[in-house]
Amino acid sequence: MEELIDLREFGMSDEELFSPADRDELASERITAPKYSYWSSVFRVFFRKKLNIFLLVLLAVIVAFTYIYPAVIGYDSAVDPYVNLLDPTAKHLMPAQAMEKFGGELKWILGSGASGQSTFDAIWYGSSISLSLALVCALINMTIGVAVGAIWGFSRKVDRFMTEVYNVVANVPYILLISVIVLILSASFWTMVFALTVTGWIGIAYFIRTQVIIIRDREYNLASRCLGTPLHRIAMKNILPFMTSVIVTLAATEIPSYISYEVFLSFIGMGLGDMSLGKLIEASQNAMLTPGWELEFWSPVAVASIITVVLYVVGQNLGDASDPRTHL
Amino acid sequence: MTKYLVSRVLRGLLSVIIVVGVVMVLIYSCLDRNLIFANDPVFSKHKSNAQEVYKMQQWEYYGYVDYVPYADFMQQLVSSGEITQPEFDAAIKFGNRAQQDSPAAAEYVRRFSEGYEAEGYTVVRLEGKTRGNTNKYLDGGEPRLYAYRDVPLLSRLWNYLTGLIRVDNIHAVQGDVGKRGLTFTLYDPAYGGEKFSPAIMGNGTVHKYLLYFDDRFPYLHQNLVTISLGKSYSVNKGIDVYHTMTDSQGARDMTMITYPSGNVEMSADDIHTAVYVAGSLAEGDAVVKRNFVDDYTSVTTRKMGLSKLGYSFVIGIISVLLAYALAIPLGILMALKKDKLPDKLGTVYIVFVMAVPSLAYIFLFKAIGEHLGLPTTFDMESPTWLMYVLPVISLALPSVANLMKWLRRYMIDQMNADYVKFARAGGLSESGIFRSHVLKNAIIPIVHGIPASVLGVLVGAIITERVYVVPGAGNLLTRAINFYDNGVIVGVTLFYAVVSVVSVILGDVLMSIMDPRISFTSKEG
Repeated sequence: MEELIDLREFGMSDEELFSPADRDELASERITAPKYSYWSSVFRVFFRKKLNIFLLVLLAVIVAFTYIYPAVIGYDSAVDPYVNLLDPTAKHLMPAQAMEKFGGELKWILGSGASGQSTFDAIWYGSSISLSLALVCALINMTIGVAVGAIWGFSRKVDRFMTEVYNVVANVPYILLISVIVLILSASFWTMVFALTVTGWIGIAYFIRTQVIIIRDREYNLASRCLGTPLHRIAMKNILPFMTSVIVTLAATEIPSYISYEVFLSFIGMGLGDMSLGKLIEASQNAMLTPGWELEFWSPVAVASIITVVLYVVGQNLGDASDPRTHL
Repeated sequence: MTKYLVSRVLRGLLSVIIVVGVVMVLIYSCLDRNLIFANDPVFSKHKSNAQEVYKMQQWEYYGYVDYVPYADFMQQLVSSGEITQPEFDAAIKFGNRAQQDSPAAAEYVRRFSEGYEAEGYTVVRLEGKTRGNTNKYLDGGEPRLYAYRDVPLLSRLWNYLTGLIRVDNIHAVQGDVGKRGLTFTLYDPAYGGEKFSPAIMGNGTVHKYLLYFDDRFPYLHQNLVTISLGKSYSVNKGIDVYHTMTDSQGARDMTMITYPSGNVEMSADDIHTAVYVAGSLAEGDAVVKRNFVDDYTSVTTRKMGLSKLGYSFVIGIISVLLAYALAIPLGILMALKKDKLPDKLGTVYIVFVMAVPSLAYIFLFKAIGEHLGLPTTFDMESPTWLMYVLPVISLALPSVANLMKWLRRYMIDQMNADYVKFARAGGLSESGIFRSHVLKNAIIPIVHGIPASVLGVLVGAIITERVYVVPGAGNLLTRAINFYDNGVIVGVTLFYAVVSVVSVILGDVLMSIMDPRISFTSKEG
């Protein structure tokens, strides 16, 4: 009652105030919903969680140490691991002893390993190999897997054929295939990439195929097809947006899984020739049981675990955020 | 349904056969076959021509090639009666070079070369290498003549598949074995002939005992149908993969046994495994003569421990049971307390197991177990139940996480479904909705995985078995690959493929039993 507007404030005559306004045809057509942009909503939802910001910072630190640190210190994998090879007092040192011997540099913060090398440097060089391997393999497998899986899901003819191919390929022991390829082509980085991708995409393709089949026959796609939408438009506009969060979530599990797989392969003696994280763990596994040497074994294990956990959680949360249903 | 199942099984068999074919191509055609000599000390002892021949012999032994030396060809001509011994003696010795052959030798060398070349073999003649101008050969420099060819894939595959299953019969062995036939006895002579224990024995069969009882699981045993997955060349020399996986291991199990001769003594011999070996009684030593009365003398010994498959199975099955017993209540709890503390704790655990390399947490469990004073290595000689604890936990905890993750997902999906809202609106109690609707639907996809996880334990666990030194089946494949043991690789692959195909089919069957809405017969549409 108190908040009645005093019309005299406007300083207009009654005629001016009460004249009928023109009907604006254009304005009545405008939809007044707030402006929506998919990717800005994804990042808005993603950064709403404080944990994600922390994890991203952690990831940035890890990536910096993995790729920038070895370059900054000029790490040479052919020289640096062996500089103290002939000095028996440099081997298997605890951090405190190593710092006392070599000075308080950052590289001795984790002590020294079996040939007197810095565990800290070896870990970051190893993780650069492991992480690159995981990223390259995931990129190749995801690209081929999603493309093939989409076609596989759409075409019934392709489905019948590919399902039989899948039954065969999935039953050839993965370890056998990898070891045969490694034996034929020598254990280099790109051999490993080839071995992990030559059949690795088929599992992803199968997963995508199942997702496509589920969405393909949903009512809205049926309706869209009845209205005469061409197939590629249905694929690009109706199904792909739906798949974004699935693909992001899948990538989030794929990248860490290649790191784990590399560790596993190195452990059973079928891994890379380079000193990757897996090779480091394998080479130092006897140090685990020797008192005072545990750090040599546990620090690469811990770094591998931290990298995989951070990648996994960031990826899962990004996958959640890229699901449009969480944008409300 | 039956028709559908039959077609599924047939398609499964086909893909198993293709898998075996692919693996054969991989190991016999793609791999550099000189690799098998990399760690062979005998290889470098052979010099010049002898080394080439040794290579051929080893390749034939490992199954790469058909190798026929000239001498074998000639020997065959003699035994088939085509030529006489004097003719053989005249032709068997060929010269250092083709020009130096005697006329008789030249004639048979020509026949040998032409005959085998026509069959697609490569004929190789290595000239004799003599020292200077003398007639003395260099070390291993004798002239050699042989033919070889790669075994074609299809015939390799065919021979392998047809040799897989063998049914024993009374005409299985050649030679004079006396009266062929089967005998049925109620009092197995291996137990002294007084204990009631029915057995079927054969004469003329490969195995002496075809059906018998003993004190080992599953108590009733048979030798009528034998499976041969392929002979091992290096991992377990000369033994079939099937036996490598199923024979008991460890220290000898000595018991009082009665030999066929009636002799009773302490021994680990398992009389029930007696296999026919021609002439073995006559050529055998005093022990054989004292114990046996016929040529069924080849027996295996009983060992105290389980087989490779047995250890993998025991550890695996306990961990599978444990995993389901823990994961189902925990997954339900997570779904019911969504976004509350139990759900958050469970999620942390799931992320840990999903993301951290399995090697890392198995070592972590080992380190923790060591602190608690649990045995960290497997000892067959002095078995205790405690040594199973760590391997079982290492296998169970990751699968708990996996099961929890999916059960929670399925439960939450079901709880948000429209029919649940409707049931609630209709006034059903929460616990009633939960038990007879949500859980029933959410458990179906979980049930689908049960056969795969139960049968999957037979395959063994590579890392767990390595870390805890378990003598299980998990490391068979990796060891075979490291030793280029092609027979074992093919056999183990076949086993894996069969396990995986059977578990998928069984999973589908189990699912359709659990959920009558799922029918495979009318799936077309």
